[in-house]
Amino acid sequence: MLKNYFKIAIAVLKRRKFFTFISLFGISFTLTILIVLTAFVDNVTSANYPETNRDRSLYITSLQQKNVKQFSQRTGPASFYYLNHYVSTLKTPDKVAIASFFMPTNTYVNNKKLVINLKYTNDAFWDVMEYDFIEGKPYSLQQINNSEKVAVITENTKSDYFGDVPNVVGKYIEADNVQYRVCGVVKSVPVIMPISYADLYVPYTVSKTDYKHHDLMGNYTAVILAKSKSDLPKIKAEYASVASKIKPDAGFDKLTTTAAPYLASFLSSTPLGDPETGKVGKLVFIVSIFVLLFMLLPTLNLININISRIMERSSEIGVRKAFGASGITLVGQFIVENIILTFLGAVIGIVLSLIILQVINNSNLIANMHLSINLTVLFFSLIACLVFGLLSGVYPAWRMSKLQVVTALKAQ
Amino acid sequence: MFVHLFKLIWNKKKQNSLLIVEMFISFLVMFAVLTMLVYSYKNFRQPVGFDYNDVWVISFSPPEKLNDAISVSLFQDALKKTLFSMPQIKAVSFSGSNVPFSMNTSNSRINYGKTKSVMTNFYDAEESFPAVMNMQMVEGRWYNKADDAAKYRPVVINRKLKEELFGNENAVGKLIGEENYEQGKAENRFKVMGVVENAKDKGSYQAIENGIYVKMDSNALRWAGTMVIKVKPGTDASFESKLFKTVSNAVGTSVEIEHLDKKLVSKNKVLLVPMIIAAVVAGFLIINVALGLFGVLWYNINKRKGEIGLRRAVGATGNNVSAQLVGEALVLATIALIIGLFFAVQFPLMNVFDLPANTYLTAIGLAVIFIYILVIICALYPGKQAAGIYPAVALHEE
Repeated sequence: MLKNYFKIAIAVLKRRKFFTFISLFGISFTLTILIVLTAFVDNVTSANYPETNRDRSLYITSLQQKNVKQFSQRTGPASFYYLNHYVSTLKTPDKVAIASFFMPTNTYVNNKKLVINLKYTNDAFWDVMEYDFIEGKPYSLQQINNSEKVAVITENTKSDYFGDVPNVVGKYIEADNVQYRVCGVVKSVPVIMPISYADLYVPYTVSKTDYKHHDLMGNYTAVILAKSKSDLPKIKAEYASVASKIKPDAGFDKLTTTAAPYLASFLSSTPLGDPETGKVGKLVFIVSIFVLLFMLLPTLNLININISRIMERSSEIGVRKAFGASGITLVGQFIVENIILTFLGAVIGIVLSLIILQVINNSNLIANMHLSINLTVLFFSLIACLVFGLLSGVYPAWRMSKLQVVTALKAQ
Repeated sequence: MFVHLFKLIWNKKKQNSLLIVEMFISFLVMFAVLTMLVYSYKNFRQPVGFDYNDVWVISFSPPEKLNDAISVSLFQDALKKTLFSMPQIKAVSFSGSNVPFSMNTSNSRINYGKTKSVMTNFYDAEESFPAVMNMQMVEGRWYNKADDAAKYRPVVINRKLKEELFGNENAVGKLIGEENYEQGKAENRFKVMGVVENAKDKGSYQAIENGIYVKMDSNALRWAGTMVIKVKPGTDASFESKLFKTVSNAVGTSVEIEHLDKKLVSKNKVLLVPMIIAAVVAGFLIINVALGLFGVLWYNINKRKGEIGLRRAVGATGNNVSAQLVGEALVLATIALIIGLFFAVQFPLMNVFDLPANTYLTAIGLAVIFIYILVIICALYPGKQAAGIYPAVALHEE
């Protein structure tokens, strides 16, 4: 029976080529936009290089201190002291990476200015993040303790600073008016990953600002790596109990902080998130509303076209009804036909989005970002496609099934 | 004529209601996109109000060893002296971190008297700030060293803030204040020394906002990690590298030098990229709708061949027929637009998003024109086709 539906659907599509074109254009274009958007969101939120351990990591990207009486509050990253003193000492985690947010500074080579983003890290940073080392290796705990001026640079920094040379380990790079000895070169990271992005990674002990001060606020973030995924709730609870005992800075009386998964940790300090629990329900809700609204117009368009096409087939419907087909059978047939049409559109849409993603990747809109269609993206776009097909098929099919046999047959 | 067209549409209200909904949503989409474009364009037309060419921003973390006001001023005077010893540097001022075109903002409410209270950008700036930025005074003067001893902190406000707080009154010499959270009432803390021309410092497509320039006191200077400097035109990277070394040695912490003109480019990009994406998406949606509308109208006309043939037979010209079909489409569009207008008008009435009402009204006007043109274009070809129907052929089919 499905095979028959399929044959009919193809025959109908061939009959009015202009309508087929309009339908396919609408479907494929809508899906293309959704796929490109999902690919982008997926790229930002999922565990890509070098943060491949995100599924068993918790992030602490900001603290919030409040003064309840004066309604004043301060939100921002934590100090090195705070993270080293309270987070590194947690018992459940496997490792705790501590790194500063990247800080732009300049260097000048051959009368050309380079902007170099510096990141100060501890040694566990290299274990928690899985950087691809093209040459050399990361600096060791020993080198950090000795405050050695060593640096790990990215591939892009290497080519910008040294030019086209095969080997740079052991050479010196000047940045922020300091000579660092290069000990390793890693594959570059896109800027949309603020925890792992930088051009030059150096030990926190060579930081020019005082990393030993005891204020809670500073410029550092922590990534807590659990031994296994099942440890995450335990770590959250342990951190919450430690944090509840910490005395806020002078002038504040309440400290709020959570160890949360990647996305939630960034949203927790915005109105979209919840600093107490670290849930992201609000964001998901807003995004779904937006997607629904975006799909509304193409869906209406498709409904309009479908109604016109269906009325054209009134004689066919009349004959089938006269021979005893029930309304539900006819509705089912039409919805299946419509879903076949949407899937045809989906195939075109996927091809189009492959082209567009390729263009975006090549245009270097965001350096080192590589968008691709993976299984998750494909899965979500197929779901979107199915919803689209159902939404635009149900109303016209219902209208059709209500058609009286007599009027349907008389029309011709 | 209109009554007749309306009756024709009413007879097929089920079929037409979906078309109306589609046009209505298209109108809302166009209204949203056009509001954004009109708003940005109006902002783009505003003068910048200052000169950002050859202005560099030096940012550094303030050195920690400075413990009291005297060591701060010793350090800063020495730094300035070193900078002024370089002939390429024309003017220097410490400032807050919210320099033009940066991502930082710093704002608070400012009060005048008992009734006026407005949101305002706060800029920490020294007396040399207008020289660096080449800002023009409208009335009064910029604050200077002599104002330090005064009871109230000297401030300069921009023209927009002056108009909102004082209207046509003279602003110079007036006292204004900030809300005091602990006592829950306004407190006069600032004395207006002058009014300066508006500076559009958030980007080319951003609106001019209220601004107040506050003279930096010793506490503000202690935590100042941003300087703006004006250099001679044509100063190159080799000088910048020298300057970088000098500043780096003087402050001992991490330093970054940026150029305001480059900051403007990247700030504009942050705003333009989402706007272009939104416009492209809306463009495709509209093409989609146009094709759909065209298809449905075309199909409907094919179905009404008999009726059209009859009209031609009793003497209607081709133009009459085509005018009737375009007219029907326009009546449909008008119904959709009336519903759409009802929603769109709420935006200026309820002052949503705080945009000026005339921006909304311009956008509404443009969106209405746009939808009408779209509908006419989509109806013209089917209408013309209908005009070409021969009564004999059409009636023969029945």
